Amino acid sequence: MTYQNYLPAPSTRHRSNSRVKKQDSYRFGIRRFLKAQFYALLYLFIHAIFSLYIRIRIAYHAVSNRLVAILKHHYNSPEYIARDVAALKRLPEHLSIILTLENGGKGDALEKLVNEVSEVAAWCTAAGIPKLSAPAVALFARGAPAVRSHSRQGLDLILISEDDGREAMVDLTRVLTEMVQKEKITAEDITMDVIDNELSEAVMSEPDLLISFEPYVDLQGYPPWAIRLTEIHCAPDNQGVGYQLFLQALRKYAQATFKLGK
Amino acid sequence: MSDLYLSHVRNWFWKSPPVEWLMKGARDVLIGTLKQGPIPKHVAFEMDGNRRFAKNHKIETIEGHHLGFEALARVLEICYKCGVKVVTVYAFSIENFNRPRGEVKGLMAMAKVKLEQLVQHGELLDRYGACIRVLGERDLIPADVLPFVDRAVEMTKHNKDAVLNICFPYTSRAEMTSAIKATIDEFTSPSQPSKPPFSQSRITQKIRSNYSKRSDSLDSIRETSPDASTRSDVDDSMSSTTALDPDSPPLQSTTAKPRRFPNAEHITTDTINSHTYTAECPPLDIFIRTSNVTRLSDFMLWQCHENTHIFFLQCFWPEFDLWHFVPVLLEWQWRHKKLLEKESPRK
Repeated sequence: MTYQNYLPAPSTRHRSNSRVKKQDSYRFGIRRFLKAQFYALLYLFIHAIFSLYIRIRIAYHAVSNRLVAILKHHYNSPEYIARDVAALKRLPEHLSIILTLENGGKGDALEKLVNEVSEVAAWCTAAGIPKLSAPAVALFARGAPAVRSHSRQGLDLILISEDDGREAMVDLTRVLTEMVQKEKITAEDITMDVIDNELSEAVMSEPDLLISFEPYVDLQGYPPWAIRLTEIHCAPDNQGVGYQLFLQALRKYAQATFKLGK
Repeated sequence: MSDLYLSHVRNWFWKSPPVEWLMKGARDVLIGTLKQGPIPKHVAFEMDGNRRFAKNHKIETIEGHHLGFEALARVLEICYKCGVKVVTVYAFSIENFNRPRGEVKGLMAMAKVKLEQLVQHGELLDRYGACIRVLGERDLIPADVLPFVDRAVEMTKHNKDAVLNICFPYTSRAEMTSAIKATIDEFTSPSQPSKPPFSQSRITQKIRSNYSKRSDSLDSIRETSPDASTRSDVDDSMSSTTALDPDSPPLQSTTAKPRRFPNAEHITTDTINSHTYTAECPPLDIFIRTSNVTRLSDFMLWQCHENTHIFFLQCFWPEFDLWHFVPVLLEWQWRHKKLLEKESPRK
């Protein structure tokens, strides 16, 4: 089998290549050189235009988001939020959010994150969403009194740490492996719902709605098992945590139709 | 009457030779241009919206799927031309078996024909040196479709430049489950010492005999010698993949049980990853879902965990063309550049 690697590949590409080569050989590659220059120039041009477009788009979204934020301000009163939500046909049982930790967690970035989480938690309580899962970037390491205090208002707050993503599945695999090694269970016993049950108990259950307060969708190590059918909402070019995005996501969720595989 | 058939005049215009020639030229220039920048290595498509497209245009559902396949051929050509190494498409979910029986049957019949088409005149895949891989639960493929699948895989096996992953019947949770199970299997099969070429006891014996020839400072070796002989070769070369920490006593001291297992603590993300269907593929760079549905729907959950740019597009899959792909690629290239800029000052 291995000697085949040393033989020339008898493919059709070979033939088409030889024709191209012949053409190029008596033009001293000038045509190819010019072509490459042309493409490189066009690439710069297209990216310059695209860069301009995206800057305008970011500016437009920033302005319109500000406007909506002013018009739809909640004035920190739960009544306003409840009124906004009342018109919606259904609400997610379990909401999840993705936030950015700015500057790699330096300075007051962590504090800001905690504030943002508690703010969203407050909105959820007012809107009547029973369960919220939020990223906890080393929250417990420094202690987060602001977040914990919300749980007494009937909101079930789950903090997702970085280890809850793929790492959690690795840990589960280790445990299962040890159990099989000690012959407590057999490998055949491990089915999808065993894993599902364990991961949703130990990590988190499947959220209904995931709001990404990021400029674009990047899951950043979000637990892969849980995100199967989660509705993901992300406003393009969004900056920071805003109530208008929260409301927008809830509205979109209310309209979305679910049809598993059908 | 479908509006697809009513648009004759427009069709005639776009299919006329000069216009077609111009369009082809424009596409080639555009692709050649985009190739100047960074190109994603692995792109996944969730081909959604065939049925809604068919419904909107008042054609048969299966006709929508046919148009969807044409879109796939277009997309493959674009991607491979740009230099994308791996394209993964979600062809059929395990949940799709719940669809009306007629449609499932139609889809399976279509799969046979299309697999045959993809391979037979082999143009597209052979031109770009792409091989087909079918990912998913093999036992769920109907018996009459299986030979077609195998032949398609077999006939493109020699291509090494690019890969087309067809997920058929696939769900990501099933994939993760099987990866976990495979990992467990790997770590619970007692590692057989497959006669290591070098024997440690032989080496110690040799050294000991060397020492005994010199007949001085024997003690230091003697001290360890009984231990070394009882341990034999098995312990230290127990598993080639997971070097055991020699200090970990619980596993080594199991004399009652002859079966020895690799240490479960050595399982890492990479171990599980190596058992997923996409083990040999580069990490997923771009995930595209069409038809304005903003869910992953059990596709590539493990893979798009991190650093994957997820795009949800408005258009239905049969409409998908270069003009939808270019903005995605441009934005990806732009973000890529931004991320590099952000990282470089730190270095």
